[in-house]
Order: sequence, then structure tokens, then C-alpha cells
Amino acid sequence: MTSRSAAAPDTRPLGTAEAPVPTRRGAEFEGTATVRSRQTVADGVVSLELAPSTGDGEAEPLPLWQPGAHIDVVLPTGVTRQYSLCGPIDAAGHSTRWRIAVLREPHGRGGSQWIHDHVQEGDELRVRGPRNNFPLRPAARYLFVGGGIGITPLLPMIAEAEAAGAEWSLLYGGRTHGSMAFLPELAGYGERVSVRPQDQYGLLDLAGFLGDPDPSALVYCCGPAPLIDAVEAYCATWPSGSLNVERFAAAASAGPADGAAAEQPIEVELRASGMTLTVPPELSVLKAVEEAGVPVLSSCEEGICGSCETPVLDGEVDHRDSLLTEDERAANDTMLICVSRARGGRLVLDL
Amino acid sequence: MTLTQYVRNGWYLGAWSDEIGRTLTQRWITDIPVCFYRLPDQTVTAVEDRCPHRKYPLSLGHLNDEGTLQCDYHGYRFDGQGVCVGVAEQADRPKAALRRFPLVERDGAIWIWPGDPDLADESLLPDTSWLTDPGWTHVHGVVPLKARHMLLLENLLDLTHETFLHPTTIGNAAVAATPIDVTVDGDRVSFSRHMIGIEAPPFYEKSCGLTSPVDRWQDGDFYPPGIFILNIRVAATGTEEPEGFHMKVLYGLTPARGNETHDFYALGRDYLIDDQELTKFQHEQQLAVMQEDVYALEAQEVMYATDPGGKAESSIKSDLAALRGRRAVAKMLAREQREQHEQSEQQGARIPRSRTASV
Ligand code: FES
Ligand code: FES
Ligand SMILES: [Fe+2]
Repeated sequence: MTSRSAAAPDTRPLGTAEAPVPTRRGAEFEGTATVRSRQTVADGVVSLELAPSTGDGEAEPLPLWQPGAHIDVVLPTGVTRQYSLCGPIDAAGHSTRWRIAVLREPHGRGGSQWIHDHVQEGDELRVRGPRNNFPLRPAARYLFVGGGIGITPLLPMIAEAEAAGAEWSLLYGGRTHGSMAFLPELAGYGERVSVRPQDQYGLLDLAGFLGDPDPSALVYCCGPAPLIDAVEAYCATWPSGSLNVERFAAAASAGPADGAAAEQPIEVELRASGMTLTVPPELSVLKAVEEAGVPVLSSCEEGICGSCETPVLDGEVDHRDSLLTEDERAANDTMLICVSRARGGRLVLDL
Repeated sequence: MTLTQYVRNGWYLGAWSDEIGRTLTQRWITDIPVCFYRLPDQTVTAVEDRCPHRKYPLSLGHLNDEGTLQCDYHGYRFDGQGVCVGVAEQADRPKAALRRFPLVERDGAIWIWPGDPDLADESLLPDTSWLTDPGWTHVHGVVPLKARHMLLLENLLDLTHETFLHPTTIGNAAVAATPIDVTVDGDRVSFSRHMIGIEAPPFYEKSCGLTSPVDRWQDGDFYPPGIFILNIRVAATGTEEPEGFHMKVLYGLTPARGNETHDFYALGRDYLIDDQELTKFQHEQQLAVMQEDVYALEAQEVMYATDPGGKAESSIKSDLAALRGRRAVAKMLAREQREQHEQSEQQGARIPRSRTASV
């Protein structure tokens, strides 16, 4: 995660003019925290609330943090991941509630998957932080732009802007409504929040939302790289320092092992029809089979409905659907050909 | 959604205990007519409601004080074990016995296993102790439904419909807007949806005295083929258990005959258990909500029944639990049919052809 603000940073947070709570490295915590609760807050997104681990005696409370702060989670697999804190903010503009939201990234390097698959309530996690590279600076007006999981650092910022009586609005985009986290929490803010799932609205209307350059406003944006790039382009004519962004570097760049495999064409033998097809990465197995003239049922083409389920005779399936259970996946004898692919580059189907 | 055959190797809610006494009660279950009654020692019995003589319904017959069941067509009499003990016309006892079904009576419910009695396993029944727990109170009943079992199952496993079908009672936008977590454990399908800081739907506002915002939990477990239990917790936002209000809803989804289903329900709560007014209010609401479902499902049934080879359905993420429930039932059915097939093949090898012929 990297942050950037073009202006000389004024790190004094809103509402804390008298006694700012420093986010020095020295105030950092390093140790284990207990997962107090785990909740699914959107498709593929879990939120974890962390609490101090008691161990033997009285636990030290976890350090206070301010909007924009993130923590490091050090996984037993050796991977370190950064997650923005998004717990509720108190009147003084800080919080002791460490809550993070983790998006399962099927094509990531496995950190988020590990958290999704292994971390349960009551488990202990190794954590470091908080650290703040994305502080909220005082302003009369804020324009927040969040894309997908990039909503997390913005949530506490919004709470603080609201508490400070600032004028603000949020443009929140995501793939689908169901993939967008924290909608119930945002619902309370009414018209200040524009929820714009891409499957209903297409790309975010940045021009309409940002409008003309406004020297009294600060723009805060977090989300996938293309969104940030687009916001940067729109704000090029704004006073320098107006735009503050935070990028989730891991999500944007990394070319993951599994994802790399997915970019290869695969070979699919249709045993009953006596054909072998080469399926390029941009084509689903379903489409390739249909194009070859073999009749198959399908409906949702998103791996939900199960109509395209096909028996697998050989080869290892890279399951990408939402319907099959872990047991069914592990059995490797069936697949939803509209979304799933091959792990080893080759499949034999009973078609 | 073509599944209209029924799984028989599984427990279904056959009746509530208070429905069955010394009168003979007929209820169709998985296309089988069943006659329920109690013997003098109060044990409950369920037999196939077809007399082995000429198939007259035994439920139209008589039960005497000794527990002998008499068919009112030609007078066959059956003892408490369902064995024929005589008939008026002749001194010889006809060789006949009634098919009796495995039953479990527990917590005020009578569970029936319409399939192979050797497979009836009591440990497969879910915990229903809250129906008799002194810390709880509940109301129960059964609603007739002219729609297939599977439609009711999907209705229960996809509570997103609350937002649209029950907007004045238990639904609001938060239900549809909050995604669910679905897990499968063996045959069981579970889902959970936690709505935090939402507006309280009218039913909960009234029956818990809560004002918005509230936290609301829906955790549902489907025990295929026909038992569904929903755990509901509602609490003022920020508080957590044990301050929450707990409710449980049990549904017995029991296939009746053709595309008809018995929609058994029990609605329980663990607070204000002596408040009769509240009980009455909740029971009325429960029935009103179920009526909304009944209208919808019966309308839907007509559409499925008249569109047998129709176009595939469209599905969305929130259908996941229902689709998994469907798969669970379909798998059970396939397993059952495979076993039956294997059994009949074995028997076929032993029984000479000539003896299999009948009228
Ligand atoms: S078409 Fe729906 S799962 Fe493949
Ligand atoms: S049908 Fe029952 S005695 Fe004849
Ligand atoms: Fe309903």
C-alpha cells in the first residue's frame, strides 16, 4: 500500500487541534491480536475485528489510530499484508477498535485467501501498526471516491468529516451491489453517498461527481489502480495538494502464480464427441464447447446456477464458480465450465 | 427445478403431538396415505392408510378402546402392531399386516420416516429442545400449500425475498442488500446473514420494542430433505448477546401428494414468555407472513407446472443457499434411487420370473 499527497502534509487530524494523537512509529504495536469477530460483509469480503490478546494477565489495549491508518498482518505463511483500519471513530476523531476488511483475491498471492480460509473467531494473528500514510487533513469540503475494497480507509474518514460538520460526499463503485462492503453502514448517510455498482451504472461518473476544481475541497481516493489513475487525470487541473490517494499495491501489480497459469490457453478433450479444443484465455470452456457445436446447457454464465455442470474424466480443475462446495471441488469429478478452467493446462470432459 | 420426486429415506414432520389422539387422522406424506392414531398407552402409530384387503382407507374405520383398528368396509381388524387379528365373515384369520412407519415423538412433534425402516436413524433429527424448554415459549401449526416441496425449500433458503414479498412485516432493504455466507456440511446446508446497524423491520420493532438502528442475525440450517430451522437474533446496535432477542422458527417441509406440501411451522422466543398478547401478535404475524409466501408459491407452482421443458432459470448470488439445498436433495434422491435399483437387481436374481407376475 502506498500513499501520496502532492501537498506539504498537514498531519494534524480534524477535531484534534488541541491534543493531536501522534501516529509516530514509536506508538506502534507489534504482537498478537485475537480475532474477536469475523463477518462476511460482501461477496468475497470478510471483516475481522481484532482485540488485544490476553495471554496470561491483563491485556494492554491496542493503540489508538486515526482515519487513514493501516496495519500489517503477518501471516504464518510468511506473507505480510497491509489492511486499512475501518472501525468506528469516537468524537475525538480516534478509535481503539481495530477492524479490517479483507477481499478474497483469487488471483492474488495467497495472503487474502489464507485469511479467508483459515482465520476464525478466537484465532490469533500477528499484527504490526498502526501507521498512517493517508491522514485526513482539515477542509471545509471533502469528495471521497472509493472503488471496491478501497472503501475501507474512507469509512472512518467519512465518520470524522461528519463529526467535524464538514460538507462531504462519497462516490462508491464496485463490480456488483453484492460485492460492495459496508453498504448498510453507509446507508445511514442518505444522499451524500452514491452507490454505483458497475453492472448497473457502468464506469463511475467522475466528471459529474468531482465537478469543477474547488480550492476549498480535498479529494480522497482509494481503490484499484485504473480508478486512481482516472481520478488523477480529472484532478490534474485542481490546485496542487487537493488530491490524496492510497493505492493497494498488492492488488494492482502482482502477477500471481495461479493467475499466470490462468492466462495460458488450455486444452480440452471432449471424450464422448471425440474432439480436442484449444481454449484461449479470453474464451470460457463453455463458449469453446458451444462454438465446437456440442450442445450444453447454460444460463447464468457466472458459475452460480449450475446448469453447465459437466463431469470431468481427467485433468485437474481450477474451480472458479460460486456453487460447488469444498468437497465437491476436491472430488475433481465435476466442474462448471462457464467459469472454471484447468490447473495443469489440460482437461478431459464427458461431453 | 424439475425435481418433483420425493426423498423417502429421511425424517419429515408428520404431525404435531397435539393433533393426534384417539381419532384416526389421515395425512398424505411423500405420496403415501398415512393414518395416524394413538394406542391406549398413548404411543403414537402411523400405518399406511390402505387396507390390505381392498385398499379402503383405514382412517375411515374405527379404533376401539383396546387399540384395535377396524376397517369399515369389510371389517378386517388389526392389533397395535398392525397385524390382522380377524375378520367378521370367517373364523380363520386372514394373513395380512399393515405397513407401519418408523416414528419419533419428541418435543411435541411427531417425526416420520416414510422410506426404508432399516435406515431410520434418530440421531439425524435436529435439536428441537427449545420447543419444550421452560425458558422458551412458542406457537405452532401447519398450513396447506399447493406447491411443490422444492419451491418452499427455496423460499426458505433465500430470505432475500423478505424485502419484496414481506415489506410490511419482516423485510426491508437491508435484507436484500446484505450478502449471505453459505456452508455445506455433509448433507446439511447452512447460511448466515448478519445485518449491522440497520433499520428495524416493523415486526421486530413491535415484538421486541426496539427502535432503529438494530443488528439482526439470520442463521438458517436446512436438514434435507425436509427440516429447516432459522435462528433469529435482534439487538440494539452495538449491544451483543445476551442482550439480544432470540427467536427460532422451525419449518417442516413435508411433501404431501403430487405438487402439494404441508408447511409445518413453529415460532419460538426466549423473552417475555408469559406475555400472551405478544404471543397472539406474533402468531398472527407469522400466519400473515406465511400467507404471503403461500400466495407466491402457489402462483409460482402453476408457472413451473405449465412450463416443464421450459427455458433454464436465471440465477444470482443470493440463490446460492437455495441452489445448494436443491443439490443436496437431488443427491439424496439419486443415492436412494441407486440403492433401490441395486436392491431390486439382487432380488430379481433370486426370484424366478413366473412368481413375479401378478394380477
Ligand atoms: S452457466 Fe450457470 S453455472 Fe455455468
Ligand atoms: S377394504 Fe378393508 S376390509 Fe375390505
Ligand atoms: Fe417468506
